[in-house]
Amino acid sequence: MSFEWSILMALAGAAIARPAATYLGSRTGWVMALVPFVIFLTLFQHVGTIAGGETLIVQSSWVPSLGIDLAFRLDGFSLLFALLITGIGTLVTLYAGAYFADKPHREIGRFLGLILLFMAAMLGTVLADNLIVMFVFWELTSLTSFMLIGFDAHKAEARKAAIQSLLVTGGGGLVLFAGILLIGMELGTFSFTEVLARSGELVASPWIGTIVVLVMVGAFTKSAQFPFHFWLPNAMAAPTPASAYLHSATMVKLGVFLLARFDAVFADVPAFGTTLVVIGSITMMIAALQALRAEGFKAVLAQSTVASLGILVMLIGLAGEVAAVATVGFILSHAFYKAALFFCAGTAIHATGEASLRRLGGLARFLPVTAVAAILASLSMAGLPPFVGFISKEYLFEAQLTNDWNIIPIAVAVIVNAVMVGVAGVVSIRPFYFKAHRVTAVKHGETPGLLAGPLLLASAGILIGLFPNAIGQALIGPAASALHGSPIDVSFQLWHGLTPMLFLSFLVVAIGAAIVVYWDAIHAYLRDQHGLYRLLGDRGYQRVLDAVLGAARGSTRILQNGDQRRYTSVVIATVVIGLAIALVAGPAPISIAFPEGVLRLPLVLVLVLTAAGAIATVRARSLIAGLVCVGIVGFALAVIFMLNGAPDLALTQIAVETLLVILLTAVLLRLPARQKHSRTSSERRRDAMLATGFGGVIFIAVASMSAIPIDLRLSDYFGETSYLEAYGRNVVNVILVDYRAIDTLGEIAVVAFATIAAWALLRGPAAKPRIKE
Amino acid sequence: MSIIFSTMSRLFFVLMLVVSLYMLFRGHNEPGGGFVGGLIAALGFALLALAHDVATARRALMVHPVALMGAGLLLAFLSGLPGLLSDRSFLTHWWAEIGSLHLGTATTFDIGVYFVVIGGVLCLIFRLYEEVDQ
Repeated sequence: MSFEWSILMALAGAAIARPAATYLGSRTGWVMALVPFVIFLTLFQHVGTIAGGETLIVQSSWVPSLGIDLAFRLDGFSLLFALLITGIGTLVTLYAGAYFADKPHREIGRFLGLILLFMAAMLGTVLADNLIVMFVFWELTSLTSFMLIGFDAHKAEARKAAIQSLLVTGGGGLVLFAGILLIGMELGTFSFTEVLARSGELVASPWIGTIVVLVMVGAFTKSAQFPFHFWLPNAMAAPTPASAYLHSATMVKLGVFLLARFDAVFADVPAFGTTLVVIGSITMMIAALQALRAEGFKAVLAQSTVASLGILVMLIGLAGEVAAVATVGFILSHAFYKAALFFCAGTAIHATGEASLRRLGGLARFLPVTAVAAILASLSMAGLPPFVGFISKEYLFEAQLTNDWNIIPIAVAVIVNAVMVGVAGVVSIRPFYFKAHRVTAVKHGETPGLLAGPLLLASAGILIGLFPNAIGQALIGPAASALHGSPIDVSFQLWHGLTPMLFLSFLVVAIGAAIVVYWDAIHAYLRDQHGLYRLLGDRGYQRVLDAVLGAARGSTRILQNGDQRRYTSVVIATVVIGLAIALVAGPAPISIAFPEGVLRLPLVLVLVLTAAGAIATVRARSLIAGLVCVGIVGFALAVIFMLNGAPDLALTQIAVETLLVILLTAVLLRLPARQKHSRTSSERRRDAMLATGFGGVIFIAVASMSAIPIDLRLSDYFGETSYLEAYGRNVVNVILVDYRAIDTLGEIAVVAFATIAAWALLRGPAAKPRIKE
Repeated sequence: MSIIFSTMSRLFFVLMLVVSLYMLFRGHNEPGGGFVGGLIAALGFALLALAHDVATARRALMVHPVALMGAGLLLAFLSGLPGLLSDRSFLTHWWAEIGSLHLGTATTFDIGVYFVVIGGVLCLIFRLYEEVDQ
């Protein structure tokens, strides 16, 4: 089966999850895990082909008029991601089935439906070759993430975090979209393969700076890089299976995925790599500090995830083959150990109902297998041999040392990795083996569903570490080659010899061990530094959000104050200003030409009548009198149409005018008695000014319009063909009912629906039950 | 209400209906059409409502204005279907020649417009004046 069917399979799984859960009950997790597992196997078939250096591309037409194809691309990098997504997706589904065992079956179904929908979106994003298609799936991951973070919608904290993540990642998505559109505008294609092939052309374009910034902002929001680092820790309000899946292993890596993909395109843009290294380093430092300060089990893991994403962004900023291998290796090892640790955290929190690391201890008695899995996973996280984490860290340092970067990023990497070691020690030793704060009872023990995920992932970490070559050849090599743009011969080895990298690793472990030992003191000290953390938290986001809401409230107070006359004034004033700007800025100069012989006597008489009506309207105190005077103007206009050979217009004008007077009179009569339906002097002055402005602008517009020579081709065409093709001599009517009939249909539909809405609103008072007197 | 106005209104009502139909059908070749025709017919009913009361006008209309509006929309929509069948093009009109008169689905379309306009205007006018009467 072709690989792009995997997305449809995931969507189908999402569709059946909810009904399936009601039938399957407690077995839902095990059965539904088959969906991602089958997709995983489908994709796994391609490993051989891709490792052979092939790139599979399929495409079918989607929106041909805009040059958008439903194109998908399977190369080493997207295959690695797709396998991670479906593989970890399988384990998450299993785990979620057990995690929600005490919840109603409906909840499991709803959760798994969202998880599988998210999986389809992820697969679509990493497999898409067309940038627009990728963007659509990218936004779908933001939406499903929103739904999953806010899964426990009864909690205010979850709702707030969900909206925050949606605003940040959704807003970033829009920024990315702008970048994609600019790329399409410059190259005339949205196909990533073609963009890659023509990257030189793109880099030479004057828009390249803007494009790079837009794409980077899109990626930074998704991958929680500084200054958007705050949303990811808050997203821990999601149920733990979702955190393990979205907010550590997969979705947050999409930004990294995007940057890595575009690294080949933007490689020659001067500041691209430097910016990534700087932003990645800043993010790493902030997250490392926050990880030491955080006290929730999940919060600590979330901060370390932000730090890991910072490391990845920094690695992408580095050039060369080793950096590509290091990026891929770290993506893989991080996904394994972090998902496993989240599973362990979920089990511990769920079993005890206690989320703070400071109040957890001695859990190994109750959750022995989970404790072992946590230890294994954290050893990989700490980067100790023989775990895969060790290999990827060696590559990280090698990538840094082979680049001509100065000491600062290396120092940052050492410190942050040491903090990772510390975090790894703290989250695996404290809750499970620490003597203090011993937990005396748990709500439930371990079930097979809760163990499968962490055990498999943790042991995979050591297996890959022991036999790195197999996975190096099959997955890491092809992925790194796809990133680097040319084949890389990868020797993914556990033992590199006595290298500078090994020395750095020793240093990291030594500092990390010290952090584990002195964690309490460091933690307590950092928690007292309130000023610093206010700076690093989401205060900026809150400020911006409050300002936007404040502006919305303020403008609503001004514009929607409940007075119909105010609304009308605002609308008319806007039209006047808009027209005036268009007239002044427009290409045609304002010229008012008076054609000869216009001023015939009948016309002058009617015009005088019109003017008299207008003046009377402005001066009228009573609204009814004003209405009648407006009527005079209207009928006089009809006569002007008649005198200038437009009987159609005249007829319609008369009918409309008559109806308008009837309708408006009824409205006036219905109004609550407002000082005898009259206007004050200042109101009249304001209305007069508005009316004069409106009339003046329209006059200038019409006058300068008639000064421009008219293109008569359309009129001639309609005039010539109207009887021959549509059997009608009244061209206006023929256009309405025949040439442009579908427009007319749309218009009468709008008229009908608007009228029904107005009619329904007018029903209000009459429908009220009447009080008997 | 003056007796002259109320008596004459009946006459005017009939006259306006006739004129509106005339406008509707001559619209294809002379000034007129479904829109103006509909407005004139609506004016006729509004006249009845003003001279007598809304109930009289509602009785004269026989159907509910909103239903009339829906019927008009449906008619305009249906008039496009024959073209969809024969030319695979919605609203490409069919024509039949009867003597010197061309009749076709375009006329049906215009009748649809006529009904939508009558129904739309009257459902507001009736509603507004009913409230005033009470």
